[in-house]
Amino acid sequence: MTSAPEPVRRALRAIAIYALLLVAAVVTLGPFLLSAMTAFKTPAQFAQQSSLAPPSPWTLDNFMNILTGPAEFGHAIGVTVLVAVFLVVFQLLFSILAAYAFARVDFPGRDALFWVYLSTLMVPAVVIVIPLYLMMTQLGLRDTFWGLVLPFAFGSPYAIFLLREYFRGIPQDLIDAARLDGANTLDILVEVVVPLSRPIIATLILITAVSQWNNFMWPLVITSGNNWRTVTVATASLQSQFNGNWTLVMAATTLALVPLVALFLVFQKQIVQSIAITGFK
Amino acid sequence: MTARAHRRRNALTGYALLAPSLFGLICFLLFPVLVVLWLSFQQWDLISPARFVGLANYESVLSDPIFGNSLLVTLAFVLIVIPIQTGLGLLAASLLTRGLPGSLVLRTIYVLPWICAPLALGVVWKWIFAPTGGALDAILGTRIEWLTDPNLALPAVCAVVIWTNVGYVTLFFMAGLLNIPAHILEAAKLDGAGSVAMFWRIKLPLLRPTMFFVLVTSLISAFQIFDQVYALTGGGPEYRTDLVASHIYSEAFQLFDLGRAAVMAVVLLAILVTVTVAQQLYFRRRTTYDLSS
Repeated sequence: MTSAPEPVRRALRAIAIYALLLVAAVVTLGPFLLSAMTAFKTPAQFAQQSSLAPPSPWTLDNFMNILTGPAEFGHAIGVTVLVAVFLVVFQLLFSILAAYAFARVDFPGRDALFWVYLSTLMVPAVVIVIPLYLMMTQLGLRDTFWGLVLPFAFGSPYAIFLLREYFRGIPQDLIDAARLDGANTLDILVEVVVPLSRPIIATLILITAVSQWNNFMWPLVITSGNNWRTVTVATASLQSQFNGNWTLVMAATTLALVPLVALFLVFQKQIVQSIAITGFK
Repeated sequence: MTARAHRRRNALTGYALLAPSLFGLICFLLFPVLVVLWLSFQQWDLISPARFVGLANYESVLSDPIFGNSLLVTLAFVLIVIPIQTGLGLLAASLLTRGLPGSLVLRTIYVLPWICAPLALGVVWKWIFAPTGGALDAILGTRIEWLTDPNLALPAVCAVVIWTNVGYVTLFFMAGLLNIPAHILEAAKLDGAGSVAMFWRIKLPLLRPTMFFVLVTSLISAFQIFDQVYALTGGGPEYRTDLVASHIYSEAFQLFDLGRAAVMAVVLLAILVTVTVAQQLYFRRRTTYDLSS
């Protein structure tokens, strides 16, 4: 045993722990900071100096280039926002309706149907992407807005599952009281259930928006050309188009990541909580 | 209102509320699964009409060494990624639950990569790994071809996925550790358990439900990794990073052999259904620690 007194040992241990945790934090944040730094460099500086050197001079040219140039990255951002907003609204609306039916309406076949809904969670994206592509092609919806959103607009089994759990915790008395006052099912949903479920709805809005912003495989398959390309697809094609032109490519990844980092900084508590509740995917 | 009229009204309300999501579920989830099954018996390149070929696709895929390789690569990927990310997550969680100031800020930092677009992070790491102008070789002062060296490519892809997931795993282990009642830890301390014994004999066994959840979700997502591979290696070099989801994608959308891609999709679906069902069965008969008394 060492003879160092207890407080010293304790302080040394705390320092060692902090050192370890800080190294991990640097490794976590490093890629974000280094790639953002590269996005602000001139191609000339990037070619001549170490890739770790800070930008000098700072330039916005890379961002201007991809936003307004032939890559039409600004357009891709617009498309992605449109898709995310559309799917947040409709997925949530239809999921709330279904979740209420499963939680509060007693109809024949309810439990069996709920089991079917849950079992579809096992189906991986890459399995249904092939048939969905064929279906959308048949419907003439390839490379259209509807092709992008239609398969996901009618609700998500996962959201339905989470909402149902939440709705089941709402006291039946409140619903009965509203019904005695003459409210129908839709009134009850709008006036009682939804206001009481704000936390889970906020969580689902965040999850849906983030996962649509991040979504890659389906937009990659169903879009071609610039018209309906999302941010992730535009980033991937910039990478293959400007292979080695890293200042441009890092401007693209920075634009793809900044909204998420900003959202994370603002809503960190809610996001961390919703990952804990839902697994977030 | 009679009981029968009431029941009928409930049925009507229930199905009216369910109608949109049921329509979506049938058209865009259940029907596509049937289409995949149908496709697996067809030969189709999207140009000439589909042709029924019986089990030919199954024979061709199941005896195809490249698909076998893809399953092996996926297995190797799972066996590298899951133990390391679970171990690191457990370590981080146990360091972050000691009540040291700043723990919550650090936790938040670690989670950040998890919510970011895997494709964009993959492209960022592609730059970091680049031998010319990349960051890692600049830091190390060497020139290593991380993503094109057949022996380094898979470990590099694994490192990116681990980097993305550790914060997520940490979060769950922190919740699990903080849920362990203080009186149990105090009792163990009074019995003379040191911090190592405490971790292995008390905390780890009590973390079993969390461990299980983390392992199962990691396993299921590991089988579906696509974005990072697309950005980093495209499955190469020499098929060394040809994870199964990315292999299915290229079979369908680059080689346009839809029948064979469908067979592979069926194989992946079968693997994931087996994993999920096994997990359910295991969960049901597993003894839980009742801490309520």
